[in-house]
Amino acid sequence: MQGEVRLEELTKKFGDVVAVDGIDVQMPPGEFFTMLGPSGCGKTTTLRMIAGFERPTAGRILLDETDVAQVPAHRRNVNTVFQSYALFPHLDVAGNVAFGLKYRRLTKQEQRLQVKEVLELVQLAGFERRKASQLSGGQQQRVALARALVLAPRVLLLDEPLGALDARLRRDLQVELKALQRDIGVTFVFVTHDQEEALTMSDRVAVMRDGRVEQAGSPREVYEEPRTMFVADFLGVSNLLEVDAVGEEHSRCVLRLGDRTFLAEQGETDARGKLKAMIRPERIGVEPHGAPGDNRLPGMVERAVFLGGSYEIHVRVLGGEMLKVAMTNEGNPLTFGLEQGTPVTLYLPPDALRVLRPDPEPDAGDEEGQTAPAAVA
Amino acid sequence: MSWLRNPWGRPRVLGLMTVLYILWSVTPVAIAILFAFNNGRSRTTWQGFSFKWFTGSVGSVFHDPALQGALKHTLLLAAICVALATPLGVSLALGLQRWRGRGGGTVNTLMLFPLVTPEIVMGVALLLLFLRVFPGIGLGTEAQVIGQVTFTLSYVVVMVRARLVSIGREYEEAAADLGAPPRDQLFRVLLPLLAPAIIASAAITFALSIDDFVVTQYLSSDASTTTVSMLLYSSARGAPTPALNAIATVALLITLATLALAFLVYRRFAGGRDATAVAALEV
Ligand SMILES: Nc1ncnc2c1ncn2[C@@H]1O[C@H](COP(=O)(O)OP(=O)(O)OP(=O)(O)O)[C@@H](O)[C@H]1O
Ligand SMILES: [Mg+2]
Repeated sequence: MQGEVRLEELTKKFGDVVAVDGIDVQMPPGEFFTMLGPSGCGKTTTLRMIAGFERPTAGRILLDETDVAQVPAHRRNVNTVFQSYALFPHLDVAGNVAFGLKYRRLTKQEQRLQVKEVLELVQLAGFERRKASQLSGGQQQRVALARALVLAPRVLLLDEPLGALDARLRRDLQVELKALQRDIGVTFVFVTHDQEEALTMSDRVAVMRDGRVEQAGSPREVYEEPRTMFVADFLGVSNLLEVDAVGEEHSRCVLRLGDRTFLAEQGETDARGKLKAMIRPERIGVEPHGAPGDNRLPGMVERAVFLGGSYEIHVRVLGGEMLKVAMTNEGNPLTFGLEQGTPVTLYLPPDALRVLRPDPEPDAGDEEGQTAPAAVA
Repeated sequence: MSWLRNPWGRPRVLGLMTVLYILWSVTPVAIAILFAFNNGRSRTTWQGFSFKWFTGSVGSVFHDPALQGALKHTLLLAAICVALATPLGVSLALGLQRWRGRGGGTVNTLMLFPLVTPEIVMGVALLLLFLRVFPGIGLGTEAQVIGQVTFTLSYVVVMVRARLVSIGREYEEAAADLGAPPRDQLFRVLLPLLAPAIIASAAITFALSIDDFVVTQYLSSDASTTTVSMLLYSSARGAPTPALNAIATVALLITLATLALAFLVYRRFAGGRDATAVAALEV
């Protein structure tokens, strides 16, 4: 099977701006690979280098073991779905889809057949004669997809292809796109800054920051086992607690917060000293005030937000930090009230509590250029 | 002025001013056209309707060799000017767009020069150029063509560039992505997208050429290089007949027809979106 992409030390500088700063990733054939990251982290630039629109400053782009870094865009067997679709306004749907087929040795008959087939694949049969301006956003997106897929690329690049659509349609298309990718087995390199989209669709996610890949792994891995605070934070709400790691007990890390002791099984359990522990909102248990047992933390409800399928409860805990707790709405009334000011006890299970390595470069670390990372002895 | 206070009220005063202005600007033209159909020799007293100054056997547009020659020469100049200035201007615009290096901005500003230079200055400069620097070319049709192309070129470049900027690089990239080599990116994508601007600038070049007096006059040689506007100027003070109005009417009709045609074609291509921009550009 073809469609393996490997980026080696890929770097792009625009003058002084380092947009992409030495990326190393490998995407096996047929993988749904997502680049996720905040605005300006270099996702688009990376994609444009793979497509051939930008020339890398350094590094290699290997497409099935061939370095294509210097090959012009029109000779790469890679196609792109642009964020704004870039459908040719002077051509109708069929004209757009057939555009690239001109460079294949095909008869008119074969061309027509392929256009028809691919339009059926994206559920746009019968739209051949429409102009791009006469299509809805979702339909335009499908035409852009069809136009790229009809060329049977080894790799399909998608730059926030669902970004311009409303939430509902977006969710439908996510499912469709994923199913399509699984059927045709083309390698997808997908760019988004929507973490939910990345988690639901991808085989693997690379979380990017400032032109680097911070962590790459399966959606489960990056969500459940984030290696840095940045990754933990970017992939959904995460609660951070400032704690003291004081020792180890049965390969669990012993954490101290005030007079409370916690055991943590996840993450850097052999780290010691002042550091952060993280827990996802949905893993925290809410119990009546004074519930006994380990790994428990008293707190006070600040507010409870009803979100339909769940509640988000903000609890101010010992030490002054605010933890967010997600509780599924199970229909039956809660056994205890959650009005503001209600004292509760939070249960932080050891297998959900993750010890994080401190970030090498703290966000906006402008404490007089004090860049030394917190000591991890 | 009530509409200042009441946003729902009709802006009556503004409306009245608009109507008055339109009347003021259209009336003289309408009167001039009207007298092209006068049945007498007078250009001021109405003596009945007739086509005699267009088709009559004496001194009409179709029978006076001087008038006819001027009309032919005007159209010839305009045709050559369009044929040269349009492709040249499009190439220049494309070149400038790609030229991202140093000096691009300066060249850009220089391109606007002919638009702001007083025509008389340009006329004199060109005259000196052909008399002193390139006496080989000399005055006459060639010099007139070169002169007209010189100043119409800027309009083409400015209009095509504006469109290029609004199109952006994305469609070319999409074409490249689908396998189109650079030549096809230009011919299959960029030029079709530029078509409205190209057509509009060709029409405006045509209209500018027909209307031009100063440059064309300076660079003319003998009677064979007289254009309609020159004829109108020189005989307006002599012994004019309504034939002059007739030929002015013909020139005006040709100009209007060209612009109207360009407008229609443009609207078809551009889907009506920025058609008003061209309407506003009408000279
Ligand atoms: N052509 C360019 N010239 C100069 N700087 C650029 C250029 N293109 C991108 N950059 C810079 O490179 C960095 C990365 O940009 P890029 O477009 O790759 O970000 P992104 O991750 O796609 O962001 P977004 O989510 O907003 O699309 C940014 O700081 C941007 O300002
Ligand atoms: Mg981007």
